[in-house]
Amino acid sequence: MKKKILVIDDDLNIRDYLVSLFNDNGYEAYIAGDVKEGIKEAQKIKPDLITLDIEMPGEWGPRFYRQLSQDPELKNIPVIVISGLSGHQYAVVKAVASLTKPFDRAELLKIVKETLN
Amino acid sequence: MTKQLLFIDSDEDHAGALKTYIERKLYDVTCVSTFDAAKDFLDKTSPDIILVDPFISDEMVSCLETVKKANPFIQIIVLVQKDKLDAAMDIFGSNVIHYIEMPINSKMLDFALNAAKKNISMNRKIDRYSERLSELHGTQDLLNQLFEKVPCYISVQDRNFRITAANRKFRQHFGNQVGGHCYEIYKHRTSKCHDCPVAETFRDGESHSTEEIVTSKFGKQYNVLTRTAPIRNEKGEITQVMEMSTNITQIRQLQDHLVSLGLMLGSMSHGVKGMLTALDGGVYQLETGLAKKDDERVLKASGQIKTMADKIKHMVLEILYYAKSRELQYEKMTVTTLADNVISTVKSKAEKHAVKFDVTIPKDLGEIDVDPKWMEASLVNFLENAVDACMSDRDKTDHRITFQVSKNSKNQICFTITDNGIGMDTETKNKMFTLFFTSKGSQGTGLGLFIAHRVVKYHGGTVDVESELGKGSQFYICIPFQKPKTNKNVEFPMEDH
Repeated sequence: MKKKILVIDDDLNIRDYLVSLFNDNGYEAYIAGDVKEGIKEAQKIKPDLITLDIEMPGEWGPRFYRQLSQDPELKNIPVIVISGLSGHQYAVVKAVASLTKPFDRAELLKIVKETLN
Repeated sequence: MTKQLLFIDSDEDHAGALKTYIERKLYDVTCVSTFDAAKDFLDKTSPDIILVDPFISDEMVSCLETVKKANPFIQIIVLVQKDKLDAAMDIFGSNVIHYIEMPINSKMLDFALNAAKKNISMNRKIDRYSERLSELHGTQDLLNQLFEKVPCYISVQDRNFRITAANRKFRQHFGNQVGGHCYEIYKHRTSKCHDCPVAETFRDGESHSTEEIVTSKFGKQYNVLTRTAPIRNEKGEITQVMEMSTNITQIRQLQDHLVSLGLMLGSMSHGVKGMLTALDGGVYQLETGLAKKDDERVLKASGQIKTMADKIKHMVLEILYYAKSRELQYEKMTVTTLADNVISTVKSKAEKHAVKFDVTIPKDLGEIDVDPKWMEASLVNFLENAVDACMSDRDKTDHRITFQVSKNSKNQICFTITDNGIGMDTETKNKMFTLFFTSKGSQGTGLGLFIAHRVVKYHGGTVDVESELGKGSQFYICIPFQKPKTNKNVEFPMEDH
């Protein structure tokens, strides 16, 4: 069965990019445009991995991460932070990896592969 | 201090006896018996007291008058025979401290000497006072000159922040505003400023400094560096505070020019990173689409790449426009096209944030000379600002922006942008076109309206603003149909002086 990855980013173009990238590489990608939608989607699909943007309008990534940690069913899902803000990724301390935009495609796929195995 | 006394008496025996008596009273006494000896002595020395029989010689009277004239502080005691007393009084009048009849009564002499002594010390005091007074006048004059001529704004304020004195430069730029509130005059505010350094000095008696943007009576903004100092009364209580503000506008502008590019790149870096990632994504989609022969993906990818390239171009141009001197590139275009282009850019942003967008553009407004790139960017900036003002407003549920285009009586084309957003207080309104001033906190760079305003200005146009806090704002942007005769070389960000 294909591993499920949830992509949370407010930028439609970047969501499209990540979805294509993951789908092309044998994963099943899902999307959410903000924190609220992200939690709902995570509860619904129970992804194996989440990629998270830090700065989104309204609420920002670390809050999503806190909500995720408080949910017993979701708290063990690994999170990869993909953000344009350098430094701020430390706001999500338990992230398996932090990538700065524009990220290296091969590096992202490598981290995803390692995390999911 | 021993007083010097000259005793002029023709009777040497009498003089000798009196000398002994007077010396006991601690006077330094010199006796002379002739007019010539007296004159000799007076030519060389100026005694404190002269004890004299003026009638020992015909010349004595005029000699004494000359001496008294040259040194009015010399105390003269006249010794005369009873029958000559009246004559002596007629001659000397009040120029003499005392008249003593001969033969001398010692009590009378003591009395006369004491009176002379008192007079001397009084005169010395008066002398010292007048000396100090003239010194004080001199110092006051100097201070006054310094206060008046010093090339910064100086005001003295009481506890209610009312100005009690102001120097010339202050009066020149802010009017003769003695009695007015500092915050009204400097900032056109209705209440005290937050973090007022004058209030701080009244509180702790220390000097405080801040950097402020103030507005002159001519509506010009200045960056000033302000320092305060307490003014205390004799008891040491702070009664007033002096505020000295140095105009650092030019220094700020230079500094701003140097750091601005770095700052702007910093603030834009997040956006740039997002754009580059999306561009990466577009390239990826294009490559994989071509490999998979997936036309739909290729089409979508090329659209995405085009959008991102445009966005990046726009941002880079903004940086270049800001950083470099550049001549406006005029083109003829119809007003309708200009307005349509602007609307199509802003409409989606307004709709995304549930802001209603009403547009009124009459047909046949004709053609206008503009630099389309920058005039469009400028108008978009004004409109986006209106959207931001609506988004920041939490009091009203319905938000609306109207965009009207019309001709005015000066044959100019006018764009009127009205919003019912948060509006501005007078202070914000005054400063909104100042470089790096932003009311949006970390969300703003303080560049947008600065550039937008400049663009209109260099097209020979004007921007007028009406605004009320909590109610909304109205911007009237008017530009002439034809380009101004002198096509200015636009230099940013230097202010024109």
